Amino acid sequence: MGQFLDIRKRILEITSVASAIIIWEIIARIINKKYILPSFLEVVTAFLELASGDELYRDILTSLNFFVIGMGAAIAVGIPLGIMMGWFKTFDKAVDPIIEVIRPIPPLAWIPFAILWFGLTQYAAGFVIFVGAVFPILVNTYTGFRNTPRVLVESGKVLGCIKNRDLIFRIALPAALPSIATGVRVGMGVGWMCVVAAEMFGVRTEMFGLSTYGIGWKIWHWNSLHHMDLVMTYMLGLGLIALVIDRLFRYIVQEWWLKWQTGVVV
Amino acid sequence: MIIQPLKIIAAILITGIIIVSGCTSTPVQQEDEPTGLTELRFGYQPSTHQIAYMAADAKGWWLEDLAPYGITSTGDFQFPTGAPEMQAMLAGEIDVAYVGSTPPLSAIDQGLEAKIVAGAQTQGSDLVLANDLPYESPQDLVGLKIATFPSGTLQDTVLRKWLQDNDIDPQEDVTILGMGGAPAITALASGNVDAVFLPHPNPTVIESEGYARVIVQSGDMWPDHACCVVLVTQELIDEHPDVVEQIIRTHIKATQYIIDNPDEAAQIFSDDIGVSYNISSQSIQDWDGEWVSDPNIELATALEYAKVQYDLGYTDKLLTQDDLFDLSFYNKVIAEMDEE
Repeated sequence: MGQFLDIRKRILEITSVASAIIIWEIIARIINKKYILPSFLEVVTAFLELASGDELYRDILTSLNFFVIGMGAAIAVGIPLGIMMGWFKTFDKAVDPIIEVIRPIPPLAWIPFAILWFGLTQYAAGFVIFVGAVFPILVNTYTGFRNTPRVLVESGKVLGCIKNRDLIFRIALPAALPSIATGVRVGMGVGWMCVVAAEMFGVRTEMFGLSTYGIGWKIWHWNSLHHMDLVMTYMLGLGLIALVIDRLFRYIVQEWWLKWQTGVVV
Repeated sequence: MIIQPLKIIAAILITGIIIVSGCTSTPVQQEDEPTGLTELRFGYQPSTHQIAYMAADAKGWWLEDLAPYGITSTGDFQFPTGAPEMQAMLAGEIDVAYVGSTPPLSAIDQGLEAKIVAGAQTQGSDLVLANDLPYESPQDLVGLKIATFPSGTLQDTVLRKWLQDNDIDPQEDVTILGMGGAPAITALASGNVDAVFLPHPNPTVIESEGYARVIVQSGDMWPDHACCVVLVTQELIDEHPDVVEQIIRTHIKATQYIIDNPDEAAQIFSDDIGVSYNISSQSIQDWDGEWVSDPNIELATALEYAKVQYDLGYTDKLLTQDDLFDLSFYNKVIAEMDEE
């Protein structure tokens, strides 16, 4: 019965994707203007041409490089800051007004300062991605710590876990992990969306000499030349890579990070 | 049990077809009927290259000259570079574009139905290098970051060709960054790029700030190279040829006026764009550009640009004169003017 439901679920998924592709193809053929909406087949052809060389792989590696820099910094800053704010009330009161002023500023607005502070380097792109990703991580870490069940903390204390350091790392952090995982996942989504904006101003990685690569950069490049089939190819590439990153993260979280949760709810 | 998904796909398809047919029915009905044209929409850029448009606008000549053809209003859109200007024409937002001669190449290659009907100007861009960097020959640029207009624009094309002519690989030996004029100036001022290659008045603006100097003018890179042109949509050519003829007449009049009155041209530019009169006047003195209206002057290099862009992989096919130019209007207008 389970297997049957699985097959049925897959058929539904495939049907949904196939329908979207068919509708896209029909609309593109009716419009019949590649620069307004390239058809699915034109995009596939453009993708195959790109995939036959090494340019696409360089673009993907470059964007992932920026993403790793930005996400690494966001996790390194967001989680410790969220822990401090969630556990120490005085620290929270001191830092919260600053965070609340900076948090609503869109990552795009930071681009001029990213260039001025880091130059046209991979760190400038990483900074823009960092700004997009850090706040969801921080807020979810904070929320996870604030919502640590009092009974767990009290039980810890009764069992001899008295120091703040022990309470944070042995009681609150494990309890907050699901919330932190959600924060990192949301942060990764927002951070990946910032890749296009981060690459818009022509930053380059040192991996590939003086040439400029990156999925976001290529979207702007081909847009300038009105090759909308290639623009669409890179856009779908962004979406597919985000999907792979998300699935990979969910797998790691479910199989490693939060394996202890299995059976808690279902 | 796979009937249900099939029902879903059928429902989605039917809905999609209904939506699409609803969206496209109106234009299909109007396809063959010429519309009564009452408004003309122009695109231009904030450059001394295109003062002819600004002069005709400031003098009220567009409206005055086109009124007998039913035009009751004109509107304009200013674009930072040619790439978004062509995007606007592709989207049907402008009818006439004052634009560099290369942005139309990739747009026409990708399906834009438009033709160059008049010239506007030749040369007129400079390579400007930060003061602290030495320059003796093009080889000194190896390893540097150069900001210019985005891929496919005239500046991008001329710069890449000149670098290649001097045995410098524009992909591997230098970093070329595409951006608008204002971001490029900011990037040079903050030391984030080493040089910029921009149309006037940008080089004069930078030199007046004192942190960089002009090292090569575009006329030295590519003598007498074509620059800006007047591009009109095929729809305008097919349905309103009389309007196109009058646009060219007015353009010729405005071009001659700014050639004869460079001080007033500088003032018109200053008023339109908001840069000081001193800068615009100095720019017109400094540049190596020339205002023209004859598209025949720009024909040869425009076709060379087409070859360069094809070789760079910017266009899918090698564009020909027939793809890009319609010289009949200009030649007819000039013949009529000669008779008069």
